[in-house]
Amino acid sequence: MRTLVRITFLANVLLFIPAPASAAEEVSVTEILELGAELAGEEITVEGELVGDYGFRDDGSMWTQLNGDVYVHQPLREGSQAVGANIGIAVRVPVELAEDLDPPGGYRNRGPVVRVTGIWNYHDSTRPGESYLEVQSLTVTEPGRQLNEEVNWTALILGALLLAGAGVVALLTRSED
Amino acid sequence: MLIRPVAEDFRVIGFYMGRIFLVVAAASLLPLAWAGIAREWNPFGSFLVMSGVFALLGVIGVRLAPKESELDWSHGMVVVALTWLIVPMIGAIPLLLSGHFGRPLDALFDAVSGLTTTGLSLLSDVDHLASSLNFWRHFLQFLGGQGIILAALTIFAGTGGITLYFGEARDERILPSVTSTARFIWAVSVVHLIFGVTALGLVGWLVLGFELDRSIFHGLMIFFAGFDTGGFSPQSTSIGYYHSAIFEGVTALLMVAGAMSFGLHYAMWRGPRRSVFANLETRTILSTFGFTMVLTIVGLAATGLFVNVAGLTRQGFFQILSAHTGTGFSTVPSAELAKWGGLAFGGMAIAMALGGMGSSTAGGVKSLRIGLTIKAVVNQVRQVLLPEHALVGTAYQQSGRKHLTPALVQSVMIISLLYVALYLLGAGIGLAYGIPLQESLFESVSASANVGLSVGVTDPSMPILLELTYMVQMWAGRLEFVAVFSLLGFVYAWVRGK
Repeated sequence: MRTLVRITFLANVLLFIPAPASAAEEVSVTEILELGAELAGEEITVEGELVGDYGFRDDGSMWTQLNGDVYVHQPLREGSQAVGANIGIAVRVPVELAEDLDPPGGYRNRGPVVRVTGIWNYHDSTRPGESYLEVQSLTVTEPGRQLNEEVNWTALILGALLLAGAGVVALLTRSED
Repeated sequence: MLIRPVAEDFRVIGFYMGRIFLVVAAASLLPLAWAGIAREWNPFGSFLVMSGVFALLGVIGVRLAPKESELDWSHGMVVVALTWLIVPMIGAIPLLLSGHFGRPLDALFDAVSGLTTTGLSLLSDVDHLASSLNFWRHFLQFLGGQGIILAALTIFAGTGGITLYFGEARDERILPSVTSTARFIWAVSVVHLIFGVTALGLVGWLVLGFELDRSIFHGLMIFFAGFDTGGFSPQSTSIGYYHSAIFEGVTALLMVAGAMSFGLHYAMWRGPRRSVFANLETRTILSTFGFTMVLTIVGLAATGLFVNVAGLTRQGFFQILSAHTGTGFSTVPSAELAKWGGLAFGGMAIAMALGGMGSSTAGGVKSLRIGLTIKAVVNQVRQVLLPEHALVGTAYQQSGRKHLTPALVQSVMIISLLYVALYLLGAGIGLAYGIPLQESLFESVSASANVGLSVGVTDPSMPILLELTYMVQMWAGRLEFVAVFSLLGFVYAWVRGK
């Protein structure tokens, strides 16, 4: 009897404790944008690169953008094809999860690739009409890194020659006047 | 009989185009300096090439014609139309060399879109674009919104200044001379620049928590694209990136200021301010804005996408303001915009098609033409209903008391019909490629009215013919047809004339 009570108690406890992060539905950023309304209020897990800025606000949150496009794993400057616009969503991260992140992605660097789990707020009523992921857990899967810039010497030399050419034509015709 | 242009005609056109290219060459030193300061050496090289081409063409053009050449009406129109074709071609060089475009035509598309203040874009991975290239894209919108010809007129006017001024789709001369009018327009813009960048920068820094330099960067970019009703943004999620009602509010003020005619700015600066609300154009735009806003919000409510009134109003208001002013900023993704069917779609499409005020940085049919058309129709109906010999008043208020003449009505009707034809042209070509009617029409109106909102049709994989069509729509829509037809007539006379 005591065993039965223990099992029943344990079952009830298991029933009411929150589901672990791994139970969240795994989706891509593209799916979030396409199924925005259907995923409203759901706990989801998504992976992508943090880009743009880290906006640390007074309410103890950090806002940034999470991209889930082809450029995350192969940036344009490392040989990816230019196939279209970025695909991104807004993420709101508790400050304590955002303190040690590498700089966000931009021209000089590829931002950290993170796996985040949280609640998808679709046209949230508390922030009139905004859609964003309220992050509850965050794991860095790839740290940010610098992107190398190769100087285009041909353009530099050609540009200098063109400007010099304009100067020469101006000088020559001025002397004719 | 058509008279074939002679060498002297080409020399005059070349001379004035040369002057304009020299002004643009000087302006292109700004992104060059930006790239140098930011140590973005790859873009620096491409800006050097662009500046060099502008400078070389400018010097060659100026030296081609004798200085005493006079610019007549047809020459002026050809100069304007050609300038608006060639400047984006050269301006596309840095974009093309950036590696952010799949094909060269796409880079040209973005340059045309930027200069015409449209805002449609085929740029890939804007989130990793160099800051100097972002500056150039937005600065192109500033140059285009103010008017590249206007920029040149501020420095030189010459005998053909008035022709060039009107050729760039400006209806009114605010001050007695073209040069003083041009300088007034720049003064208005600089005041808004200081206010806009300061306000947006402070919001970015103090409210959004961005770093100070990034706040100023975002402020500057959004000012260029907002005040000049362009619609580019430094991040892929447009104004939705900022997630801030205050930021949206300041941006909305800039969009409204950009869609106001500079004549109205003058009235607000110098008074009497009462005349602002007596203007037919002001009353028309307030009425059409209210009408399209109601349509959109009722339509959005019917979609059930929004769960509360505050969200519905905030998002609906911003989107419709962006559409009506011809800006093209958005706080929702293209994928979601495409789902706005029914009344919401109708409201947005009508708002885009109508556009802002004349002699502003906005595109579309323009409020004054809408107001005059309505007035002409009402007068016609009253004439029919009243006794045969009754006189119907033709006066209207627009920077003073004016009269609606048959010639004015005819001119207004022709331009309005040409806009409708332009909207249908792009929609028809889109339909021929199998794109649904709603999306084809939305994108076509967006391109022709220089708005820039997209439901996803504008994409690097789009058919080349459709891409070319949108480019022609952006060009013809920005110049309001007259200069474009003058150029076509000039080319026809060159080929078939005697």
